[in-house]
Amino acid sequence: MIKLENVTKSYSAEVTALRDASFDVAKAEFVFLVGPSGSGKSTLLRMMNRQERPERGAVWVAGRNINEMPDSKVPHLRRNIGNIFQDYKLLTNKTVFENVAFALEVIGRPRHVIRQQVPAVLELVGLSGKQDRFPHQLSGGEQQRVSIARAFVNRPLILLADEPTGNLDPATGEGIMRLLDRINKTGTTVVMATHDQRIVNMMRKRVIQLDRGVIVRDQARGVYE
Amino acid sequence: MISRLRYTLREMWASMSRNKTLTAATVITSTISLLLFGLTLLIQRGFDNQLKLWTGGVEMIVYVNHGAEANQVAFVQGALESQTSVIEGVTYCSEACATEVANTLFAGDQDSLQQLIPKIPSFFKVRPIDKDSGEVLRTLKSTFKDLPGVFDVRTPDQQVEVLSQLKSFFGVRTLLISGGLLAASALLIWNTIRTAMFARRREIEVMKLVGATNWFIRLPFMLEGLVQGIAGGFLGGIFMLLINRDWTNGVRAFPVSSGLEGFVVTDGYPYTVWLVMILVGAFVGAVGSGTAASRFLDV
Repeated sequence: MIKLENVTKSYSAEVTALRDASFDVAKAEFVFLVGPSGSGKSTLLRMMNRQERPERGAVWVAGRNINEMPDSKVPHLRRNIGNIFQDYKLLTNKTVFENVAFALEVIGRPRHVIRQQVPAVLELVGLSGKQDRFPHQLSGGEQQRVSIARAFVNRPLILLADEPTGNLDPATGEGIMRLLDRINKTGTTVVMATHDQRIVNMMRKRVIQLDRGVIVRDQARGVYE
Repeated sequence: MISRLRYTLREMWASMSRNKTLTAATVITSTISLLLFGLTLLIQRGFDNQLKLWTGGVEMIVYVNHGAEANQVAFVQGALESQTSVIEGVTYCSEACATEVANTLFAGDQDSLQQLIPKIPSFFKVRPIDKDSGEVLRTLKSTFKDLPGVFDVRTPDQQVEVLSQLKSFFGVRTLLISGGLLAASALLIWNTIRTAMFARRREIEVMKLVGATNWFIRLPFMLEGLVQGIAGGFLGGIFMLLINRDWTNGVRAFPVSSGLEGFVVTDGYPYTVWLVMILVGAFVGAVGSGTAASRFLDV
């Protein structure tokens, strides 16, 4: 589903975010990217949805080299990739329903499809009765669930999660991980950047460890070291 | 398609409502600049009308003595028609024809008519090639006024010259000012769209991440600028029509001898100008918002 070949990315002469990174992620796989802050986890995620381009190497997503993809095709690529963030990136002036519907609306889905899919995904993430609330009326865990609903409402092939439990207490974080695991079991590939040791050890999924832009470990059913 | 249209209109309205002050400032600036632009066109047309009234399309009238013989008339006509390098055309109006004209012009003034008609002269209407040159008119006048059989030669040379100079003076300057103001409008629209995009940068970021195309993101912003430009043209046009109405009423109240009775635009031309103002407003709005929406999409 995702393939990186010798990817290198520098932000300046002194800062190399990634150095010669290569790995494959299979369809429906769940992968943790771990490592300290500044190790290149977020840069890797940003390359997978073409928010960034490598200086060298290639990034393949669903069989296409996305670095060579024309800019006009990038929106279509992103419709197959859901994004989840540590700070949720919810629109504060929109309700839960509107936040999730927004993702469908801006890609031109008709109203009847939105009315059908949004309640379904809100039920999946456990927010059925809260669709008319605004983000500030929700807890952190609930806001992250809205963010996941928005990322998943279009049934993407891939979910990229950048520290989704970073702002949450351990119990709420576990709830979010159970939700991501359920989504993964539907066949969606999940790549999650984290330095939450407890969660990585609990999930026992594949772990790719980065250190100063270099992949130092790639372990199936791994733990945080 | 309908859902996209609904979305675009809704977002455009939301953005305009969010930036009420800036939107109002933009529309007011567009209105004033387009009003000045429209008034410039009307002033130009007013000068044209005034020039036409002075000349009636004829720059010089050569009056022939009352009761002149046919051979005298033919002599004057021949002299006029021989000046092919400066005279474009000559039309003769006999004494009967001149009486008809007088009856029309002095329909409400029987005393003047009674004094004029018994000694009314026939005349030649002369159209010079260079209609706007007072110098040509003066030369023609001095050439023909002493010809046998010629009673008088009238030219509106000074008036034509003054009006031509005024037309040129006001036309160029008001066009320059309105051009400057239109550029200011475009910049203000550009800035409004930039501010609107900055205010919605989080939304734009989310839109890009979920796969909205750049055009889809841009469209509400571009439409916002377009609407502001069109609103400026529409409102400016209304003010222009009101000003034109008041000016026309004012000029009609002037005495006929004021010589300003032609300085009005009373045909359908103001409505054409209104349409032009709306189109120019739309163009300015589209250019301002289009460049801003393209340039600041990566917020």
